[in-house]
Amino acid sequence: MNIRDRIPRLPEIYADSNLNLLLRRAKENRTVDIEEYETTGGYSALKKALNRFRPEDIVALVEESTLRGRGGAGFPTGRKWRFALMNPQPRYLVCNADESEPGTFKDRIIIERDPHLLLEGMIISGYALQAKEGYIYIRGEYPAGYMILENAIQEAKERGYLGKNILGSGFSFDIKVYRGAGAYICGEETALLESLEGKRGHPRLRPPYPAQVGLYGRPTVVNNVETLSNIPIIVTYEAYFMNIGPAGFYGPKLFPISGKVNRPGVYEATMDITLQELIDMAGGMKDNKDVKAVFAGALGIYRKDELDTPMDYSPKGFGGTGTTIVLDEDDCIIDALTVITNFFHHESCGKCTPCRVGTYEQDVILKKLKEGKATEKDVEYLKHLSKNIPANSICGLGYSAPNAVADALEKFPEEFEAHLNKTCKRCFG
Amino acid sequence: MVYKYLTNDIIKKIKECRKRFPLKEQCIIPTLHQILEKYRDIPFQALEELAHYLDVPLSDIEGIVSFYDMFRYPKKGAKNHIRICRNLPCHLANYQRILEDIKEITGADIGKPNKMWYIELVECIGSCGIAPAFLINNDLYDGSKIKSKEQLEEILKSYITEEADEHQRQDTKAT
Ligand SMILES: Cc1cc2nc3c(=O)[nH]c(=O)nc-3n(C[C@H](O)[C@H](O)[C@H](O)COP(=O)(O)O)c2cc1C
Ligand code: SF4
Ligand code: FES
Repeated sequence: MNIRDRIPRLPEIYADSNLNLLLRRAKENRTVDIEEYETTGGYSALKKALNRFRPEDIVALVEESTLRGRGGAGFPTGRKWRFALMNPQPRYLVCNADESEPGTFKDRIIIERDPHLLLEGMIISGYALQAKEGYIYIRGEYPAGYMILENAIQEAKERGYLGKNILGSGFSFDIKVYRGAGAYICGEETALLESLEGKRGHPRLRPPYPAQVGLYGRPTVVNNVETLSNIPIIVTYEAYFMNIGPAGFYGPKLFPISGKVNRPGVYEATMDITLQELIDMAGGMKDNKDVKAVFAGALGIYRKDELDTPMDYSPKGFGGTGTTIVLDEDDCIIDALTVITNFFHHESCGKCTPCRVGTYEQDVILKKLKEGKATEKDVEYLKHLSKNIPANSICGLGYSAPNAVADALEKFPEEFEAHLNKTCKRCFG
Repeated sequence: MVYKYLTNDIIKKIKECRKRFPLKEQCIIPTLHQILEKYRDIPFQALEELAHYLDVPLSDIEGIVSFYDMFRYPKKGAKNHIRICRNLPCHLANYQRILEDIKEITGADIGKPNKMWYIELVECIGSCGIAPAFLINNDLYDGSKIKSKEQLEEILKSYITEEADEHQRQDTKAT
């Protein structure tokens, strides 16, 4: 049986764009095959890259583009590449398709609907990095995406875009897909590499960074799906890429928005869009209610009076993966936080005691708050934890586990009050 | 060693995997996926067989099974695996309604599987745009489109097919 016949049906996730770059072919819910990809301009960036550019020209283009990593940390992609290029071959390219941060469902849209865009981005990146091989680490809960990628790789090989001596250029490159098995921590790049090597996904101590010592101990670039999918666009547009969006944060960005909006989905926009404009793009608030708060995934909270925040990577910007979860006036911050603290407690890998124990204690206190059993002392301890966990952890999960709680303590003190004295209408009404 | 769970088709897949990846440890996770897919469970003996076949310590394999949520055993051989997302967007969309209905219809509960159903609450499955989202085996469902208990009943019924019975017979044969 053909792979295509075995692919589970795709979820009807809404996607829209007024840019038509990353989502150019992905607004409708179907998988674009290589035929359609080629006839709509696909793989022309790869041809251009191989015919007209040396690898270092592409690195320079990516540096000029100001492209930043879309996996959460927002690190400049060109700089990361440059760092890896300082280390000797063989080098590896790894695509992070683990996508497990709560509220994040943007990478799957590219993988499931326009897989060749990602492959083309990876092949060009592999050429720029003079990499030996590429890997895609996809989360275990995306079985359809896994099969779609396997199928697309097969298609690309048949047409000479992958494999030995690609399009007669002398450059050879292969891509292999590897499935995870349900662990948020495996999205952290060093844990991902451990997992990809067939081990438990425990983060590695850094330095050395993956760009120095990565997969199989070799220099490795780990980039997010959306980051890599920007590469064909950069090669196509060259200097014109700098017309897309605000200075310093050029390029399209995907925003997965969910919660109490009329049309949850994935929206493509430039990064000068504000949080309010994004909510409007998603059809505004459900039942015409007011916004109470916006959760930036599990990593931070915005208040109603902060909706003019730009969705860029500036210090004041929304940053991260662009993940937007909207709460309305009737939702309870403490109730929402219990979900987040439970998540971090569940997902801490347990390697560092402050993270393992701290995320547990956070969760216990939040549950007590929700049940009206917490005291002032508990809240004080929560404040202590939000400094202590990040200060004594070795990876991004520990650094960010208390972010949402810390933001809530600062921005919604009245909600904590309302649970200490049991006046929250939703929880005690 | 005579293998009970590592059937010929699984061994063929392991061989392909060995050719594809340089480290033999890289075949552990893919093979566990195969085993889970085939048996809807990860029997301990299957781990022993895999350790023997790959010539890696059993503790390495056990360590992986206990680390990754999708492999936590035992699933008690339940024919269908329901995963309901409990993270924030699905929480805001009241996944509890779906969970309660599913519990009633299937007679199973979290931690209390029966022959046909294994129910689990999981973290975000990257489907928050169709919250509350849940998976039955590999099929993803949009809970917001399920308006009544009858509709949910229809869906669940479609997983109790003759094919499932056939599957069960084959599994008993294999075990
Ligand atoms: C706990 C944790 C989970 C992460 N999950 C993901 C993920 O699912 N996908 C992703 O691309 N990056 C994830 N990251 C970020 C990666 O570590 C890494 O920064 C990223 O893959 C680099 O790619 P980029 O520069 O293209 O963003 C995660 C980080 C942490 C600390
Ligand atoms: S900070 Fe937490 S998740 Fe990260 S390595 Fe330490 S224990 Fe594991
Ligand atoms: S929170 Fe349920 S699918 Fe993301």
